[in-house]
Amino acid sequence: MTIRSFARLGASLAFALSATAAFAHAQLEKAVPAVGGTVSSPSEIRLEFSEGVEPRFTGVALTSANGTAQPVGKSAVEPGDNKVLIVKIGKKLPPGVYTVNWHAVSVDTHHTQGSFNFTVAP
Amino acid sequence: MYRVHPRALVGAFAAAGAALWFTPAYPHAVCGNRIFPATLGIDDPGVQDEFSPTFVYLPYNSDGSREIDGNFSWSKTIIPNVGVIVSDGPTWLHPGGYGWDQLSTELQWGNFCWPEHELMATVGFEVDWGNTGTGSQASPLTTYNPVIDVGKGFGDLPTSMNWLRPAAITAELSESLPDHSFTFGDQNSTTLNWGFTLQYSLPYYNANVAEISNDFFKHLIPITEFTFSKPVSNFAPGTNVSTGTIQPGAVYITGTYQVAVEAVIPLNGASGHGVGVIASLDLYLDDLLPDTLGKPLFNPFGAK
Repeated sequence: MTIRSFARLGASLAFALSATAAFAHAQLEKAVPAVGGTVSSPSEIRLEFSEGVEPRFTGVALTSANGTAQPVGKSAVEPGDNKVLIVKIGKKLPPGVYTVNWHAVSVDTHHTQGSFNFTVAP
Repeated sequence: MYRVHPRALVGAFAAAGAALWFTPAYPHAVCGNRIFPATLGIDDPGVQDEFSPTFVYLPYNSDGSREIDGNFSWSKTIIPNVGVIVSDGPTWLHPGGYGWDQLSTELQWGNFCWPEHELMATVGFEVDWGNTGTGSQASPLTTYNPVIDVGKGFGDLPTSMNWLRPAAITAELSESLPDHSFTFGDQNSTTLNWGFTLQYSLPYYNANVAEISNDFFKHLIPITEFTFSKPVSNFAPGTNVSTGTIQPGAVYITGTYQVAVEAVIPLNGASGHGVGVIASLDLYLDDLLPDTLGKPLFNPFGAK
């Protein structure tokens, strides 16, 4: 392949990449309560993803250490920032270890999921 | 010639003002909570839409020649979980000269996934086509390579072993079957190839174990790859020597691309001398161009 061909390849790829908005699998970048962190009883769970998510198909389940499901509200994205998912916690959590299981569908419909623990301090 | 797995540029065609190029890359693979990155020594266990240019520098091959490769690979899904990888690229040998590598194609079927256990597998059939190389890489020999790739993440371990949950292992097994027993009087041996990778995903750690505040490290996957090859039949006396490399390095992964750099350490004198380097940029076309190049050509069920 010649240098000209390489240049054509680069130009074509650049054109193609610039012609469509880039989306991706939504990866969890940051959470509140923090992944593995210790907090006082939180009122909500905030998940910050690498990409925008579709709240209708994105959800969070919260369970205590013994596997009991904890009440959570409907998933919603932060106004003006669809990378941030917010879920209200339905009750004051007693001290203990809790597990967050989340699943997300990014705005380009790619699916991702994950889970993490946080601790509510006495 | 160094075998940079499926990846290589093969061509291009123009359409609607944009030329679409056949190129490469090891598909990154998603299974459960795990993302297996594209790897350099062996393929990863997924079928995706990706494009990957790869650079290789080897200071001394076993015959003493210096080698530089520039490979391109395009992975294209035909239908969900079935795809084709087309790979090619130039090689410079000193001494030996320049040549365009043989065209390599691989039909893949996979993304078999057990999400709870982050267990994934893909099978493939690769063909290195004879009479498609030029110069120093010209050869009439066609080689057929059945391939299986598997990956296992350790995220299913109990949280008491949290430190180990970001770890994963991937492996590949293939056999190279030449279409001629002899070429120019030389025996063409059947070769068994295998390899594995050990990975520790800091993105996984950040999302599932404990938060990492540093933005660079939370995208990094330290990795070491091991590749091996051994003639198993039709080899000349004394030539059935195992060869291979150890490739420590790291992958920087984002939502739309990854960059990987690894050292290439030959296992023995038959594998080469000195420490080389391999580097790759991998563009996740399914993420970058989800509505055009990044989706299957045919998708009867509408799945992504």
